[in-house]
Amino acid sequence: MPLPLHELAHSDTSSSIVRLTQNGLEVMSQEPVAEIVSSLIPKRQLAAGEQYRFHFDMTKCIGCRSCEVACNEQNGNPADLRWRRIGEIEGGTWPNTSRYYLSMGCNHCLSADCLRGCPVDAYKKDPHTGIVLHSAEACIGCQYCVWNCPYSVPQFNPERGVVGKCDMCHGRLTSGLEPACVNACPENAIEIEIVDQLGWRSDHAAANAPGMPNAGHTLSTTRITLPEGATAQFERVDIETIRSEHPHWSLVWMTSLIQLSVGVLGCTVLSRHANPIVLTLIFALTVFTLNISVLHLGRPAYAWRALKMWRRSWLSREVLLFGLFFAALTLFSAASWSVVVHPFFGTRFLLAASKVIAPVLGVAGILASARIYLVPARPAWNTVHTPIDFLLSSAVLGCASMPLLLHVSHALDALPQLGAVVAMDKGASFPISLFILFSALWMLNHIVRTIRLSRSAMYELRASASLLNTDSLRGAFLVSFAFMGVAILFSLANQPFLALPSAFAGVLTARYLFFVSVVPLNMALTFVRTTRA
Amino acid sequence: MKTALVTRLKRFAGIDTQREKYAYAHDPVYGHISESRVAEKWTKTTCGYCSVGCGMLVGTRDNRAVAVRGNPDHPVNRGKLCPKGLSEHHILSAPGRAKEPLLRKNGVLTPVSWEEAIETMVTRIREIQQRHGNESLGVVGTGQLLTEECYTLGKLVQLGLRTRNNDGNTTLCMASAVSGYKLSFGSDGPPGSYADMETADVILLIGANIADNHPILCHRVDRSSPGTKPRTLIVVDPRVTKTAMMADVHLAVKPRSDIALLNGIAHILIREGLIDHDYIERHTTGFKEFAEFVSTFTPEHVAAVTGLTEQQVYETALLYGRARSAFIGWTMGVNHSTQGAVTVAAINNLALITGNIGRSGAAPFSITGQCNAMGTRESGFTASLPGYRKFDCAEDREDLARIWGISVDRIPSARGLAYPDIIEGAVQGKIRALWFIATNPAVSFPNYNLLKHALGNVEFLIVQDGFHPTPTSELADLVLPAAIWGEKEGTYTNSERRVSKVNRVVSPPGSARPDFDIFLDIADRLGVRDELYPGWQNSHDAFLEFQRVSAGRMCDYSHFTWKQIEESNGLQWGGESLYTDGNFATPDGRARILTVPCDPFVEQPDTEYGFILNTGRTVEHWHTRTKTAEVELLNDMVPNAWLEMNPVDASRLDLKPHDRVTVRSRRGTVVDLELRITGIIAPGQVFMPFHFSETNSNIVTLGAFDPISREPNFKQCAVRIERTAMRDRRSSGKRLKTHTSNLKERTELT
Repeated sequence: MPLPLHELAHSDTSSSIVRLTQNGLEVMSQEPVAEIVSSLIPKRQLAAGEQYRFHFDMTKCIGCRSCEVACNEQNGNPADLRWRRIGEIEGGTWPNTSRYYLSMGCNHCLSADCLRGCPVDAYKKDPHTGIVLHSAEACIGCQYCVWNCPYSVPQFNPERGVVGKCDMCHGRLTSGLEPACVNACPENAIEIEIVDQLGWRSDHAAANAPGMPNAGHTLSTTRITLPEGATAQFERVDIETIRSEHPHWSLVWMTSLIQLSVGVLGCTVLSRHANPIVLTLIFALTVFTLNISVLHLGRPAYAWRALKMWRRSWLSREVLLFGLFFAALTLFSAASWSVVVHPFFGTRFLLAASKVIAPVLGVAGILASARIYLVPARPAWNTVHTPIDFLLSSAVLGCASMPLLLHVSHALDALPQLGAVVAMDKGASFPISLFILFSALWMLNHIVRTIRLSRSAMYELRASASLLNTDSLRGAFLVSFAFMGVAILFSLANQPFLALPSAFAGVLTARYLFFVSVVPLNMALTFVRTTRA
Repeated sequence: MKTALVTRLKRFAGIDTQREKYAYAHDPVYGHISESRVAEKWTKTTCGYCSVGCGMLVGTRDNRAVAVRGNPDHPVNRGKLCPKGLSEHHILSAPGRAKEPLLRKNGVLTPVSWEEAIETMVTRIREIQQRHGNESLGVVGTGQLLTEECYTLGKLVQLGLRTRNNDGNTTLCMASAVSGYKLSFGSDGPPGSYADMETADVILLIGANIADNHPILCHRVDRSSPGTKPRTLIVVDPRVTKTAMMADVHLAVKPRSDIALLNGIAHILIREGLIDHDYIERHTTGFKEFAEFVSTFTPEHVAAVTGLTEQQVYETALLYGRARSAFIGWTMGVNHSTQGAVTVAAINNLALITGNIGRSGAAPFSITGQCNAMGTRESGFTASLPGYRKFDCAEDREDLARIWGISVDRIPSARGLAYPDIIEGAVQGKIRALWFIATNPAVSFPNYNLLKHALGNVEFLIVQDGFHPTPTSELADLVLPAAIWGEKEGTYTNSERRVSKVNRVVSPPGSARPDFDIFLDIADRLGVRDELYPGWQNSHDAFLEFQRVSAGRMCDYSHFTWKQIEESNGLQWGGESLYTDGNFATPDGRARILTVPCDPFVEQPDTEYGFILNTGRTVEHWHTRTKTAEVELLNDMVPNAWLEMNPVDASRLDLKPHDRVTVRSRRGTVVDLELRITGIIAPGQVFMPFHFSETNSNIVTLGAFDPISREPNFKQCAVRIERTAMRDRRSSGKRLKTHTSNLKERTELT
């Protein structure tokens, strides 16, 4: 059986496809039933400026899901990862109801966001075939591509620690065999075609379909044949199937803690309270935080690779900026110790320079970190409220820490050995009004964000708001505000040891909600499906 | 220990990404593919799920099935398979397989040897039969067995265990089609073939959602591909099924109004002169009364009963009547009814009056359910004698007695109890011992509460199955672990009478054994092995004998050997069409045109139970999910049941999508279903799939049965829908836990 199955089935008219009874012969001889169906993969080589693409014929698909199973069998994937997925759309009123199916793998976009965001260059748009290829070897499992793809195509495989996705069965296609899904489809609804990239760039309307995100985001190459004269307004059947996303705990902690670090550093510098002890504490906190951050990766051992694509990926830039922030902070701490204990030549200059550079790099890192989340494929993140929240969280936590740090410094000051190191003004204080101001702004930002989400015309934004209002998340939402309110009360009561943890808990809770309540862009899926956290 | 720790650390750090497990390789036959699916050997076989009968190749490596492929040379599926078939190799290594005989001792199912199991079974049955008579034993078989096994079982039960109370789960499925064929044509036997769908001008599907249930038949009705013959697909179904979406004309009839529609079409055909007078004259009887009878089924009346417009009825009749060849296919929408058998007769009427039978593209055609339901009909010793013989025909009985070399009075002259009557007999205490083979009535039988009572009532319950625990085997006194598809050799017959070869690709797990071997062992213990199965060693001996039994009959197996069947990718007995000469299996050779009144279904909705519940399937699952729940991928796609409700009703009841709802009938309550609000279901009706034991639709369904076929009316009963109270909900945590424990078990195995 060396030939692709469809060729065998259709090219030989004398084969079993034409099976006649004796009585039926006369009918049949007038009307040939089986005719050669063109091959489901292109017969010619690609020319320059062309690439392969999927063609999906919605009018042929019967929603049997053979393609999904064939795909998983082809790639040996676990049951809960499906590189090809089926979705259902429905419209009209009984009995004039219409329902259709979508079957999609990767759309092998002309302007692929997965590729652009990847910090390690694991993606490649194959120059010959145009297939968007992913390398499991290069991948470090940061999952940024998962966030970037408007079709939720790349999927993280926790068993491997890396992402995987449809490669149009590149290995089969290049040896003249059709992809597994194409091969499996009993209705020939999926085929591989050649598309002229330039032409498609200017007109890609045929990539759009009900239940699919706008093809214009990333220039999806998949051509979809829609039913003719369909008058019904189609909707995804899973429109109410909203599930909370992965919380990414290490990122919840990492972003919150690094914002704390930068916030405290900024406050100490601005209020001229930067002393070796305080800087050492911030240094220790930053070391801890950066170590937590790698736990987010599927492959922490290769975290260093994340620096690779700093020219293109905001994730690389974040890593780079926080790395530089850490270096500057280290220098700052060292210089400040050196000045006190044993000044070398130039340490005073270093101290002065790092005092400016470290906080600036920290703030830049926070902005880069916020920029990571400004991706069109995750609409609830892609708002101005994200960078505002990150900066305000930093300010809130910084301000909340100051009274506590001063308190500690005062206590240390009493120790004769450390008196010189701390060199603290007696009675130095930090205005709590700043803390109250920032925490009020922080809460305002969250309230405005939530109202805007709930009133949005965009489904995914509204869905995020309704997710925040579900039984499982509503409590956390209210608790995040309660923590912040209590923090204000504590700070008014001059209880810095309680105010900071409370404010931090508020930020953590809100950050958790930020991660779980985002509803990504995706193709329509089926109504009943497995719940995943 | 140390290496395990190192591995875990390497996994955690991402140094180890399980490259080997996810590696690709080159399969010599199928090219680039996951290394895990590269086979050493490919074995031809036939799919063990539904009766479409797709040819497949199972790839094995190191005595494990690693992949499945459609057989491109097989005329049924031409290389294609549905999602269940494509993942069928996974069931062979599923963790839920029954691996050892289990006997209930002090209330606990305890592993025992095969000797002890068979010894206990025979002793207990004999002892019960001595006290209550031979017929106190009831046996319920299945369409899952090989034809050879089914034939062997029939002899064992009727001649060895000497009880007539032998039936199959096919009574829950195809019995109405069988009875309908017998009513009209004098014999069982679907007259057409799949090929007819390609040569017909009009295809009328009634109560057949082939896109979900027989997906590989859909390409036969494909009209969009270049070169395919232009033809019209009409789908009659109260629900906007996937199949309805393929249709040119969808007739969303009111539940159980199909007889009115069929009679109404006949009325218009007669009125418009679109009937084949010559055919009627030469090959049928009863037309005159029929014509008179259907004259009352005016378009006006039919429109009122069916909920269609007069124009729809009229146009459908014209489409059917003007077709040069018209094909009618049906499945459970027709069969699952108290009027199933006569509805089949009403379908046959249409074919007979228009002469749409016995030629290419023209047939009334039942699309069967299980992989070998047809084989059980041909070889079984249940509702009829092997080889489509009749109990009440002395000649048939003598025929068999001669072939078997036994006295003719050993062969009963009337059938015993049908499946529902066996259950009823258990409730009444007439049936004291029950033996279920490869079927799961605790999920599949209507009115679960009555069934549970019946199973609790018998003294000895034997469950022979490939899987354990199942909701039924859990209740058993004795569990016999059986080999399943892929572990034994024989034949299946598909819907179009195509006998296909089924081959063994791996050994059964643990001490599980082929049903055939189990039957022979029981016969041995009963002391009837030499008499019933002289010199038999394997299932091929059963085939050879069945060839002799079927020789000269309509279902004649004597024309082909196992080898020929395998080489030709299946062979149809009777050719592509039956009755090509217009000669039917009735005494006078004429088909019967019967008058079929249209009665409303039994349990009509009322103020207390306001909805009509419809039940059915989804493409990802097979029957009671003993198999497909074990295939992670399929179960992951559809892990739970749902209830479909029209938006109009949902807003009236103030329900929202994904709300947890309870379905209540007069018989029981199903709680915690996921609500799907959708326009594919009519107002006033709700639909739920029957696959799920956790939310078993048969807790609410009605125990009403067709008086002729004894098939249950699964499709309509009156229910009430309410929001599920918090305390009745299965926590999602609990469900997740079961899922992960499955995963764990699987990891340990691999």
